[in-house]
Amino acid sequence: MIEQRKAFHHQLDEVRDDIVVVAAMVIEVLPRGTETLLSGDLNAADEIIRGDDVIDLRSVDIEDRCFHLLALQQPMASDLRAIITAIKLVGEIERSGDLVVNICKAARRLYGRSFDPKLRGLISRMSTEAQQLFRRALDAYVEGDAALAAALDDMDDILDQLHDDLIQAIFESHSSGRLDLQAAVQLAVIARFYERIGDHAVNIAERVHYMVTGGHPVIRTGPEDESSGAEPDVEGATQGFSQES
Amino acid sequence: MWVVAVAGVVVALGTALFFLSRERRASARVDGMVSRLGGEVLEPSGSLSSAIDRLGRAADRAGIRETDTVASADRLAAALDALAQGVVIADPSGRVVFRNVQASTFVGARHGDALVEQAVAELLASGCRGVSDRRTVDLFGPPRRTIMVAVAPLEENGQIIGALGSVDDMTERTRLEAVRTDFVANISHELKTPVGALALLAETLNAEDDEDVRQRLSERLVHEAHRVGRTIDDLLELSRIEVERSPVREPVAVHLVIAEAVDRVRQSADLRRIKVEVSEPSSRLTVVGERRQLVSAIGNLLDNAIKYSDEDATIAVSTSTDGRTVDISIADQGIGIPERDLERIFERFYRVDRARSRETGGTGLGLAIVRHVATNHGGEVRVQSQEGEGSTFTLTIPAGPGPVGITTTAEAG
Repeated sequence: MIEQRKAFHHQLDEVRDDIVVVAAMVIEVLPRGTETLLSGDLNAADEIIRGDDVIDLRSVDIEDRCFHLLALQQPMASDLRAIITAIKLVGEIERSGDLVVNICKAARRLYGRSFDPKLRGLISRMSTEAQQLFRRALDAYVEGDAALAAALDDMDDILDQLHDDLIQAIFESHSSGRLDLQAAVQLAVIARFYERIGDHAVNIAERVHYMVTGGHPVIRTGPEDESSGAEPDVEGATQGFSQES
Repeated sequence: MWVVAVAGVVVALGTALFFLSRERRASARVDGMVSRLGGEVLEPSGSLSSAIDRLGRAADRAGIRETDTVASADRLAAALDALAQGVVIADPSGRVVFRNVQASTFVGARHGDALVEQAVAELLASGCRGVSDRRTVDLFGPPRRTIMVAVAPLEENGQIIGALGSVDDMTERTRLEAVRTDFVANISHELKTPVGALALLAETLNAEDDEDVRQRLSERLVHEAHRVGRTIDDLLELSRIEVERSPVREPVAVHLVIAEAVDRVRQSADLRRIKVEVSEPSSRLTVVGERRQLVSAIGNLLDNAIKYSDEDATIAVSTSTDGRTVDISIADQGIGIPERDLERIFERFYRVDRARSRETGGTGLGLAIVRHVATNHGGEVRVQSQEGEGSTFTLTIPAGPGPVGITTTAEAG
């Protein structure tokens, strides 16, 4: 019986290590995607888009193993939470990888255009910030750090602010005639992709918080709720746009 | 009566024989243990006590051998730790049984380590199938790293007993390689292109009769000639600075150096209505160095700041000191430098945006000169930049005999 438990915990550790690897892949590919966008390197864009298949396959594999563990071991308490968290995390990570792919696809559509240094600067800052959030979320997961996980939501405010700044800069660039409407819309969508990656990192942190403590971080109420209620529309529009490619 | 006596003798003999054979069996078993411990049993005497003596000696020898084995294993582990490479050893199932200190962390970042670890595990698995393999892991970072993972199967008597993985940090080697190849390509480009253009322009001019066209061609000729001239000037300046590894060291007043450098760029600044604001330090600072080189370095930084700023912009020059070194900062609100180029801009002929930098008439050597001046003086040059917000270059030079004396003379004067 004890031997079986040992094997089970070993499998749980393997699931955790594999989640770290897919998350690391996303963390690694994010600045590459940004570089692709800023340098207009189409080969690199294709490479990243193809590379996402690896992330997808690994995610499916991790999920399968989690289902097996659930069905065969019928875990309880913290073990159960660890597996449920793993399943949820894989989804968030895999989706973030897709967003990087979306950035690369947008880079292909923007090929040959140059943007103001200010826009470029804001894009690279959003990328750095989103990557930072993701790294922190992964740290919180590996170390089981509930405090760090709970703090991630506040850290995301910086990324949200950069998102607003970038949208503003896009408007300015467009109205002064240095950016045509098509490129402006593409850039606005890209800004949204980065912002979403940050949101996924925050979701990961919330799941980690749940895994460690068994409870969720305090859910924001009040006016915040209204804005988040309005979000699905925008998100739907964004996704429709990305699927056009 | 004698029957009883005979019976007694038989019983006694039987008992003695019984005990004797028991002792022999026991001593044979003890001797078995001796040979299991690696001891030798030369003449198996039946006596139990001598067998036990042999066992004791064999145990002592085995103990010494054990200590030796542990010591040599420790020595091997320490030797592997002393290697600059990361070393990972796996058993035939691919499970890691040893890793040296360097292999405990590869790049110092969780996600980077996870990716290298993944590559190591995959290669070890193929090593255990008898396949030697290597793979380069390019990490975009931060930190940016190029890691080479190689694996070789470990064999004994034709059987695979595990795999050896080695992990090498190739970052610096790859970087130097890129610097070298780029430099060779760039220098031939920078010199050949304008010279080729000169020849072509001169030929066309020779065959042209139209006065307007001749005028235009000769203007281009002058322009190209100036460009080659500037590149050669900068190359000479750079090699001069390189030769003067230890320039004349004398105290130089920082504000005078800055004033001279600002004077040099005054014209190009005025042309684009750019203001160069020098904030006077509270005390007059001095640095130890060669005045001409310092003026050249600051002049180059100012020149760049002007080139990459919009018209009507302001460039701020400020100085500060921590007592040991003096920082001279030149901050602009220009276009800034992309992050990926930051570590390479001090290389000779490195250009962030080829089209633009040629437009502005740069030679691609300015920052290389600045860096050489800084290292010659035992200082350094740093850059902080954000695209669209501007760049700040900071030149750090060892401080002179102290600002105090100069402040007092200034106040006295």
